[in-house]
Amino acid sequence: MKSFLDDWGLTLATFIPLVGVAIMLLVPKAEEQLHKIIALLTTFAVAGMGVLLLTNFDYDRAGELQYSINRSWIPFINARYHMGLDGISLPLVALTMLVVPLCIIYSWNHFPEPQNPKAFLILILILETGMVGSFLAEDLILFFVFFEVVLLPMYFLIGVWGGEQRQYASIKFFLYTLFGSALMIVSFLALYFLSDKVMIDGVSVHTFDMTLLPAAASGISTSAALLIFGGMFMGFGIKVPIFPFHTWLPDAHTQAPTVGSVILAAVLLKLGTYGFVRIALPILPGAARSWAPYIGALAVIGIIYGALCCLAQTDMKRLIAFSSVAHMGYVMLGIASLTAFGINAAIFGMVAHGLITGMLFFVAGTVKERYHTLDIKRLGGMLQSMPHLGWILGLCTMASLGLPGLAGFWGEFPAILSAWEANVANVGLFRFYMVIAAIGTVLAAGYLLWLYQRTAFGTPSDEFADDPHLHDVSVLEWVAWLPMLAGIVILGFVPNIIFHVTDPAVIRTVMTSLNRAGG
Amino acid sequence: MLAQFDSTWVQPTFDYHAFAPEIVLVCVLVVMILVDLFAPREAKGALPSLAGLGLLAAAIPVITLAVSGHTRVLFGGAYVVDQFTLVLTAVFLVTGYVVVLLSTNTIAEGDYWEGEYYILILSSVLGMMIMASARDLIGIFIALELLSIPAYMLAAWKKRDLKGNEAGIKYYLMGVFASAVMLYGMSLIYGFTGTTKLVEIGAKLGQPLGDGRQLVTLGIVFVLIGFGFKVSAVPFHSWAPDTYEGAPTPVTAFLATASKAAGFVALLELIFVAFYPRADVYEPLMWALAAATMTIGNLIALRQTNLVRMLAYSGIAQAGYILAPFAVAGTSASVGQTAIKAIVTYLVIYVVMNLGAFAVVIAVARKTRSAEITSFAGLFQYAPGLTVAMSIFMFSLAGIPPLGGWFAKLVIFGSLASAGTTSGYVLAVLVAVNSVIAFFYYARVMRYMWMEEAPDGDRTPIRIPASLQIALVLTVGVTLIYGVFPGLVAHFTDTVSLLSLGR
Amino acid sequence: MLTHVWIIPGLMAVSFALILLFGKRFSEKITSGIGIFFIGVCFVLACVTSVNWIQRINDPVPDPSAAASVISQPSDAGPAPVPGMTDAEAVVGAEVGPAEAAADATHAAGESTPTTEATTTESTSTESTATEHAAGGEEHETKAAPIVTRWTWFQIGGIHFEFGFIADGLSILMLFTVTAISLLVHIYSKEYLHDDVRFTHYYAFLSLFSAAMLFYVTSSNTIQMLTGWELVGVCSFALIGHWWEDKNNSDAALKAFLTNRVGDVGLIIGVIITFFAAGATSFNVLHINQYALSPAANQTLLLVGALCLFGGVTSKSGQFPLHTWLPDAMAGPTPVSALIHAATMVVAGVYLVARLYSVFYEGLNIGDNWINYIAVIGAITIVGGAALAFVQTDIKKVLAYSTISQLGYMVMALGVGAWTGAIFHLFTHAFFKACLFLGAGSVSHAAHHTFDMRKMGGLRKYMPTTFKTFIIGTIALMGIFPLAGFWSKDEVLAGALNGQGGHAYLFMTIAGLLGAVMTCAYMTRVIYLTFYGEYRGHGTPHESPKVMTVPLWILAGGAIVLGLVNLPNWFKIGDVAYTTRFEHYVEPTFAFPVIDHAEFNLGLALGSLALGALGIFLAYQYYWLAKSPLLGLRDKSKVFGRGYWVLENKYGLDHLYTDIIVGGVKGPIARASYWFNNTVIDTVVNTAGTASVATGRVLYAQVDQKVVDGLVLSTGAGAEESGEALRHIQTGRVQQYAALLFAGAAILAVIFVVIV
Repeated sequence: MKSFLDDWGLTLATFIPLVGVAIMLLVPKAEEQLHKIIALLTTFAVAGMGVLLLTNFDYDRAGELQYSINRSWIPFINARYHMGLDGISLPLVALTMLVVPLCIIYSWNHFPEPQNPKAFLILILILETGMVGSFLAEDLILFFVFFEVVLLPMYFLIGVWGGEQRQYASIKFFLYTLFGSALMIVSFLALYFLSDKVMIDGVSVHTFDMTLLPAAASGISTSAALLIFGGMFMGFGIKVPIFPFHTWLPDAHTQAPTVGSVILAAVLLKLGTYGFVRIALPILPGAARSWAPYIGALAVIGIIYGALCCLAQTDMKRLIAFSSVAHMGYVMLGIASLTAFGINAAIFGMVAHGLITGMLFFVAGTVKERYHTLDIKRLGGMLQSMPHLGWILGLCTMASLGLPGLAGFWGEFPAILSAWEANVANVGLFRFYMVIAAIGTVLAAGYLLWLYQRTAFGTPSDEFADDPHLHDVSVLEWVAWLPMLAGIVILGFVPNIIFHVTDPAVIRTVMTSLNRAGG
Repeated sequence: MLAQFDSTWVQPTFDYHAFAPEIVLVCVLVVMILVDLFAPREAKGALPSLAGLGLLAAAIPVITLAVSGHTRVLFGGAYVVDQFTLVLTAVFLVTGYVVVLLSTNTIAEGDYWEGEYYILILSSVLGMMIMASARDLIGIFIALELLSIPAYMLAAWKKRDLKGNEAGIKYYLMGVFASAVMLYGMSLIYGFTGTTKLVEIGAKLGQPLGDGRQLVTLGIVFVLIGFGFKVSAVPFHSWAPDTYEGAPTPVTAFLATASKAAGFVALLELIFVAFYPRADVYEPLMWALAAATMTIGNLIALRQTNLVRMLAYSGIAQAGYILAPFAVAGTSASVGQTAIKAIVTYLVIYVVMNLGAFAVVIAVARKTRSAEITSFAGLFQYAPGLTVAMSIFMFSLAGIPPLGGWFAKLVIFGSLASAGTTSGYVLAVLVAVNSVIAFFYYARVMRYMWMEEAPDGDRTPIRIPASLQIALVLTVGVTLIYGVFPGLVAHFTDTVSLLSLGR
Repeated sequence: MLTHVWIIPGLMAVSFALILLFGKRFSEKITSGIGIFFIGVCFVLACVTSVNWIQRINDPVPDPSAAASVISQPSDAGPAPVPGMTDAEAVVGAEVGPAEAAADATHAAGESTPTTEATTTESTSTESTATEHAAGGEEHETKAAPIVTRWTWFQIGGIHFEFGFIADGLSILMLFTVTAISLLVHIYSKEYLHDDVRFTHYYAFLSLFSAAMLFYVTSSNTIQMLTGWELVGVCSFALIGHWWEDKNNSDAALKAFLTNRVGDVGLIIGVIITFFAAGATSFNVLHINQYALSPAANQTLLLVGALCLFGGVTSKSGQFPLHTWLPDAMAGPTPVSALIHAATMVVAGVYLVARLYSVFYEGLNIGDNWINYIAVIGAITIVGGAALAFVQTDIKKVLAYSTISQLGYMVMALGVGAWTGAIFHLFTHAFFKACLFLGAGSVSHAAHHTFDMRKMGGLRKYMPTTFKTFIIGTIALMGIFPLAGFWSKDEVLAGALNGQGGHAYLFMTIAGLLGAVMTCAYMTRVIYLTFYGEYRGHGTPHESPKVMTVPLWILAGGAIVLGLVNLPNWFKIGDVAYTTRFEHYVEPTFAFPVIDHAEFNLGLALGSLALGALGIFLAYQYYWLAKSPLLGLRDKSKVFGRGYWVLENKYGLDHLYTDIIVGGVKGPIARASYWFNNTVIDTVVNTAGTASVATGRVLYAQVDQKVVDGLVLSTGAGAEESGEALRHIQTGRVQQYAALLFAGAAILAVIFVVIV
């Protein structure tokens, strides 16, 4: 079993969805039910694969790459098919494999217009391949390919199944990311050519291998490193998104179909932060040190700014979208602190944000479906008309504002804590950031509770007083949501589930090279 | 170095194997002419298949040559059959074959002279094949004319259509002007170096040049400009859009892929074998051309409402990307090597995805009778297959993984970065920015196909003839495979090298 | 039991889960039954724990081994009892100096201290009494070593975040108080909330609150305390907004939560700073205290930390100027006000200061000072709160402001070093204030659910029991001998007057006395308006049923007797140890600053009683006899008029917060940044797009399609020839193209020939 997983585990986990796609392509479009079943089974297969990987994962060596597979792929540029699973990628992979099936279950019998489940589900499956692949890739080019593969399906999900402004939103989303990744690939190549050669099967060559580059790239001149990091910063930063590159997010989220928003919030945004942790920091620690103060600054600006924008929103979904900007700010602050604390917090924050904001978007989608509006002013009294939904929203709100005992807290608090003794030249500056970030929690509480008050409290307005559409959470929705809700609560009380996996990996992958860079 | 060729002088052998592809093609041409002249009308239906089979037949010796491996040098280096030649010959043959596939129904159903059409296509391909092996100014010029003149006629093939005539005459006149400029440049170079063999020219230019320096410079500039026209580099691109729009779409496909590729082949041979020592001339020239071509091409493409015209401009922009590596080729031998590989790789992929795009245009036009982008509205609703195919080609042209185009872009980036010079990186960033701009108009097509409603709700499906289907399957498959396993195309182009001859 | 205090909050959590999941299916009877049963069990357990603790102090554990045997039976269950000072290594190492301290700390982080190690791997239980470490503590103190049961919660970068529970005098006292009051409130609510829309929801949150509060007071480390702190906040939010159909209630709930959130910023930062101040190795409170006392501690850091923490205290314990949420919080059901907003949650802040007292003591240098921030805030709160109580017409609001002012006493006491006084007052206050609130509840239960005293009056005839208990509570609150309030308040005042290290905290004493007068006065007013005169409401009030009055009696009993648990030594007769028991059992002796305790001061006691009497008299004259010189003062004197106006507007704080700050942020600022988002950033992006398109248009139309005429003319010849051929073609641009071709060639040629 173990040996099988070592050889095939990651490959299967990544490409099973494409098998599903192949099958669905053969099935005629009319067979909608069949398509749903195939898609669901495929994602279950992936999840099953994930469970196997998790159970056979050696948690005592969580710091090291496991199941790693390393084959020649594009000899022309020594890009290799190198995949591996370690403590940093594991939580995110697990998150992806959890969220996708839930999304399919959720959309089971309300597909957004214009229906066509076949295309919709095919895109979701391709999306899954891209996401899982990006988290597993250990080769820059391979990572880049998966990173881009994610774009297309999301572009269509937004553009075809989205809301009124979908065309604008989708193209905006795409161009933003494309711009970032174009610069990113240039800096990858610069890295490739400027780093020292390494020995691969006895030949001394340049490499794109993430595991070899930290050592190989140490020779790069400071100025070059700064520029290369800059390129990556654009690539990852836009994806995160970091202020001021965030404006694609609200549009994308607002226009995307529910499932799209969920996946976007739960997984896609994490690609950027993951890139920082996995690629930018370990490979260019020196440049990271020089960039950290600016990233930190943008992060805290994002926290406050996102919160303020939330306060100005009248559309529930848009508000949640802006809250993502604020929350990813905490993640980036943790990363910018360049401390074990901060980076662990960042990874936890990614997962927590994935679950919480994902849930919030599910709820928002349901609200849209029931009320046919997301205008906060018109909602209200949800606790009366749909008590369960109201409670779920309440739980997510509390989790989202970083209530201790729920998942959100463990992404937030350690990140703030890490800023007190940031691993950078100017400690005082980060202490200042810390205070700002802490103040951000107040604003977070503000907009979330106001949202909750205006949607859940009070009595339903006349137009929805006794609206037959307002039936409470359905069975399917419970099935789709319970795992995430459970995750939010359990992670809140047993954060060790994630920390004991990430900590060794962070120390081994990131901190060692950061410390080697001195400072 | 020259000694090597002296040795070939000593025992002059005519290597039929090396000529086999050309010979086969010539035979097929003859047969077709005869069929066209004497065979009964109904038999003429066989012409397209004959042409296609002929092209495939010509590919067989290419394979055998590839298997036999070693480089064959004829006529004292004026004519060479090496890996480079074979790869490109193969590309031309396949392109020709696909074009024939595209043409079959269009030409048959349109009001055209059918026989001549295929004969001209084949002779043009023949010219390209010669271009791939020619290593001599004269050889190159002959090849150029042989591939161009049929193209001029084909461009005007819609003989009752004003636009068609305009296209043909425009293309013809511009081609002639360009040839004139080029010839002038060649004569200058010959005058200075006293030889037409690229290798020897290279050797001459390698030595310190006296006061003739400016002359050579002038010559190089003119020659390069001449081919700049052929590859429709800005500012010598203006003919392309009109011609593309006016010519029958299959011909457009042919011009946009094969004949453009031929132009690049000539540039490769000239720059890497003959002008290589004069990096000071061609590097800045190519830098400027590349930058201008990709930027202006993209910007103008943004404005196009006609898909063929848009593809024309996007082709111009693509030409800009392909020109980019030339701008750093002179940095060092290894960089030059990377540049050659990059360009050839790009050509191979470019040809495929462009052909595919045109194939879709032809297929859709069969229903809509128009190439306006708006006529693609709602395509997803009644022709999902075509839509997906088109999306694949568009995204591939935009360079989005995992479609062939991304790897083509990557190698361009790679060759630019490998130089490690500022100018290289600047150009790389320029390419990056351009590929973002480009996505704008590719996405516009996406938008109409996926996100708009079909005009007047007409959702009758499109009937796609077998030949087109084959063409589509071929191109889609290759585009995808190149994208997922770029190792394959890299495997062919990896061994390609011209410098070995230059040195 | 001392090693298993975690069971108590655990039980309440179970109760919460049960009620939440199945409550809907059960009748009110069962639902409330579950809650009452669990909290009852908890109360019993709390009593057991208290007894254990008292035993632990009375008869010292002879030797560690025995103790180990005592503790280690249940050890396989997981908990590994470790006295607080197992972290002492870090501190001991730190004695050398800050630098080494850090070094040692990191070392400790690197491969952590053996005991912690033990707790992480297999839970071996080691019990070492204080004798090893407690710096020169005498014999009877050493027994007071707190018992910390802890596991490793998780670990980041080698630092163990412990998950642990502490059992010592303080936490056990809180256990007792919370469970006791909570039990009574559970019972009381059964009737009070009868037929309420959300009976289940109410009991669920009552349980959750109890769980959170108990979790909070038994937490062994600051992070856990933070968790409990926030959870009680949420419960308070949910219960204040219990009737959320009414916007006012949800507004009050939001206000409470957000105000506390503001304080929590301080708390979070404070927790972080104290963590780093204590060598960045552990969040354990004892460790932090110990470190604060050790010479390695950095006083400035402690000061900043303490002040930040106090930010949290200010909001949670309704200290000036963040007290404004507490009166609004009265929107919640009355039993909730009694439990959460009088007896327990609001004292969480006081508890925090008491728990981390060494930090505050060292940070603010309480021991050697005559004034400090905490004491001042406390003093201001006493007077400011009491003053506001006068202008309220809502009985619960009066009580709320009275709570604020009493909390002021506690905080001030801590500020002046009267630790025991503060906690003692916390203890007594819990009972008599709960008694008063439940009394008020009973009143409104009778008088058609109004709390407006203008609609009451003369109720003593209708509801004697409520009246009696209310009076008892009032007297206790006034601090009249010999009820509970007297002893605790006196201890606070004595502590203030005595001060530390010979510095009397004079201002604080005066503030305290002033507060005494005002308290008496406004409570007299309440009594008069509520129970005397004629009934002004409609309908005929009735006495509440047993299930409500019994808790009242119990609380009243507490209000009478509980003061005796800390009789000053002054009352000592013979050598029977019955005085200062509270101090003896509750005050920590480990990792605790050496503070000197005030002795009973007869003069002060009599003085405060006299002032109290004066207050009562003035109010009596004003309200009963209605012929006080003060009557109509408001109209006569401008000063008083203004003063009254200021009070009516609550010092304008609400206006400042709600309208100016919140309004500002929500309104202009938020809109501004959103405008910035859409107008500035987005425009930049979109312009980039549109600009490129526009350039494309220009290039195409102007440059690409019609080339400059000059060029065309310059190639007239070419134009002629091709012109012939193309005459009939309209779009004859060939000559232009040609021109372009040649021109381009020429220009480039020139450039290159010249340059190269």
